[in-house]
Amino acid sequence: MNIVNIMLSGVGGQGILTSGRILALAALDRGLDVKMSEVHGMSQRGGNVDSHIRIGENVPSSLIPRGGADYLISFEMMEGLRYLDYLKPDGRAIISKLKISPLSSSLKKGGSYPQNIEEIILKKAPYVKMIDADKIAKELGDIRMVNIILLGVLSKSFSLIERSNFENAIKQRFSPKITPLCLKAFERGIENG
Amino acid sequence: MKKLMLGNEAVARGAWEAGVAFGSGYPGTPSTEILEYLVKYDDVLAQWAPNEKVGYEVAMGVSLAGKRAIVTMKHVGLNVAADPFFSSSYMGVNGGLICVSADDPGMHSSQDEQDNRLLAKAAKVLMVEPSDVEECRWMTKEAFTLSEEFDSPILLRLTTRVCHQTGVTITEERLTPPLKRFVKDIAKYVLLPSNARERRHRVEERLRKALKFGNESDKWNPVFKNGKKIGIITSGVAFGYVYELMNNEASIMKIGITNPLPVDRIRKFAESVEKLYVVEELEPYIEDTLKAMGIKVLGSELRPHTGELNLSIVERMLKGSESTKVTVDLSDVKINHRPPTLCPGCSHRGMFTVFRDMGLKVMGDIGCYTLGAINPLKSMDSCMCMGASIGMAEGLDRFGGEGVSGKTIGVIGDSTFFHSGITGLIDMVINKSKATIVILDNRLTAMTGGQVHPGTGLNMKGEEAPKVDLVDLCKAIGVKRIKVINPYNLEEVKETLEEELKAEEVSVIIAKAPCVLGFKVKLGDVVEVNVELCTRCGKCIRVGCMAIGEKDGYPTIDENLCNGCGVCVQVCEPKALTFKKKN
Repeated sequence: MNIVNIMLSGVGGQGILTSGRILALAALDRGLDVKMSEVHGMSQRGGNVDSHIRIGENVPSSLIPRGGADYLISFEMMEGLRYLDYLKPDGRAIISKLKISPLSSSLKKGGSYPQNIEEIILKKAPYVKMIDADKIAKELGDIRMVNIILLGVLSKSFSLIERSNFENAIKQRFSPKITPLCLKAFERGIENG
Repeated sequence: MKKLMLGNEAVARGAWEAGVAFGSGYPGTPSTEILEYLVKYDDVLAQWAPNEKVGYEVAMGVSLAGKRAIVTMKHVGLNVAADPFFSSSYMGVNGGLICVSADDPGMHSSQDEQDNRLLAKAAKVLMVEPSDVEECRWMTKEAFTLSEEFDSPILLRLTTRVCHQTGVTITEERLTPPLKRFVKDIAKYVLLPSNARERRHRVEERLRKALKFGNESDKWNPVFKNGKKIGIITSGVAFGYVYELMNNEASIMKIGITNPLPVDRIRKFAESVEKLYVVEELEPYIEDTLKAMGIKVLGSELRPHTGELNLSIVERMLKGSESTKVTVDLSDVKINHRPPTLCPGCSHRGMFTVFRDMGLKVMGDIGCYTLGAINPLKSMDSCMCMGASIGMAEGLDRFGGEGVSGKTIGVIGDSTFFHSGITGLIDMVINKSKATIVILDNRLTAMTGGQVHPGTGLNMKGEEAPKVDLVDLCKAIGVKRIKVINPYNLEEVKETLEEELKAEEVSVIIAKAPCVLGFKVKLGDVVEVNVELCTRCGKCIRVGCMAIGEKDGYPTIDENLCNGCGVCVQVCEPKALTFKKKN
């Protein structure tokens, strides 16, 4: 069995690490081996954040090589573009339509936010799913649900891990109070997948 | 039962399973979470120390008491703790003692990339290197036994990709370590030269004993046999890459105890294969030993000497090319950097805006405020190591000459000041420096995630604790000019700086405001823009706040991010920015 590589990217504070943790818990629930790698510290202050997740029967190492990701899940458009070259030729990108302009764009240093970023992404990668996860999260009444929604989108095309594994992972990770909302968010993700 | 854990969490778990009684350390990425997980166990006393040296010494005292102890730090922290680290090697231990050095290849959040394996060798202590999460747990646990068995502190050397790797591990019950008490032993514990000379022999003896153990241990230094053609020696995080790529076509030796290196085992392995590689990150530590033994080996000439390894680099090294190719070409698109920035509402922002606008020479330090060096604030002229701002400000101010002397300040956070700034300030006082020191007092060690420190008034468990008062402390060491200011009032900041820079003696300015992130502070109403009044001068954008965007040259405010600190309002001369009144 090959190792499946999932790259997560976004901006510090968006819940990327939580999302990765749920995915890893779901893999463990499925009885698979999993390794995840992330960088803490400086990245928390609005910088870009990534998380490498590798799932399989036996996963010896934790970093995904550039060009080796089966999936890229990005919480923000520019961070989706930045990590697009991590994808395999047949890799799939799931990108949230949110645009967060970095400070460098306001300062006119290094150019502004790419105007036609949707077009660029679609031109660069063959399998791209763009989704307005923030809008769905707002409809659910909690913007923090974005990460669960995106996992729902992933699970639609992700045969390795069953839906029930994701649900068990969500139950493990969150308090009973917030779990029902998380499960609903996951469901909405699947619907939009 | 199998559990998902962070590498650092597994280290804490391993220590707990070994019956550890005490944990200390100073926060530093990538080591911080070890102690934060350890404090969750009620049967362990875990506490932050003001710096790594003190943390190490307390742990050593616990060891003398016969209990097991662990002390955690990042790689550069071991420089601070180097004095007790080297000397404790001669003393040996009573209860097992582990010192964690979390190295940061690639410098994700560090000022250097030093390879602390070299320090373990220099200090002649045993060193253990896990390669994944499960090894973090069991190696930590069993390292306590090694420590007691070989009468040596253990350097548990981790790297970022081990510390911050999440993976699967089993867990075991907590055991009861051998019952030990403090035993008076002057010859062992008092390092007078005459005693130290005797202990020096014991150190060599212990390394010989440990070498024999390492040579014979299949558990610590396993060999995965697969033919004679290629042999690879590796350790730590590099093992994962090697195993994944070469498990089917090479024999692999993984070294878990990397000091002393199991040289006889290595020689035997080398003789059993036709071609030998060493795959290790950073310094050619294992490789140099092999070469000194006269063993022909390939290694550092095939890889970069700086930064982290990854699958692609190791594949190129061992197979000449990579099987994974980049197919998405991003060379023709401009993607802006997204560096970390000070949080909206951060009390440092206004300070650095004033430093910049006054053209001060700023000797900086380690903490969130190091971000004051980044565009658009760009108002930090040096940042070297913990506490250096003060001594460097003294030196620069004294010899800087025109435009520098009298315009130099040292800027340091409160936690960093407690860590290693106090002695620098004493030097300024006794040697009659005229420079000005600014202490940014936000009551937390913020950059590493908001840990408590001696000025917080809380301990690691969140219980009330005595608080060191910065003003009293500065007074006690002889500083006469001490001003406490509000960092959000830019006029006050500027006036105080002007006054204190003129003073013919040491001044300390304490800018006091709690960390908005750590204490969840909401400062005021959000700001709004009156485009009628705006002259598009850009001053507000140049305070470097994530809440301020730009459209057609006019500022825009993200109301979800704005904390209402008012720094942008104060720099806006035409008064186009105002606090939005609540309806």
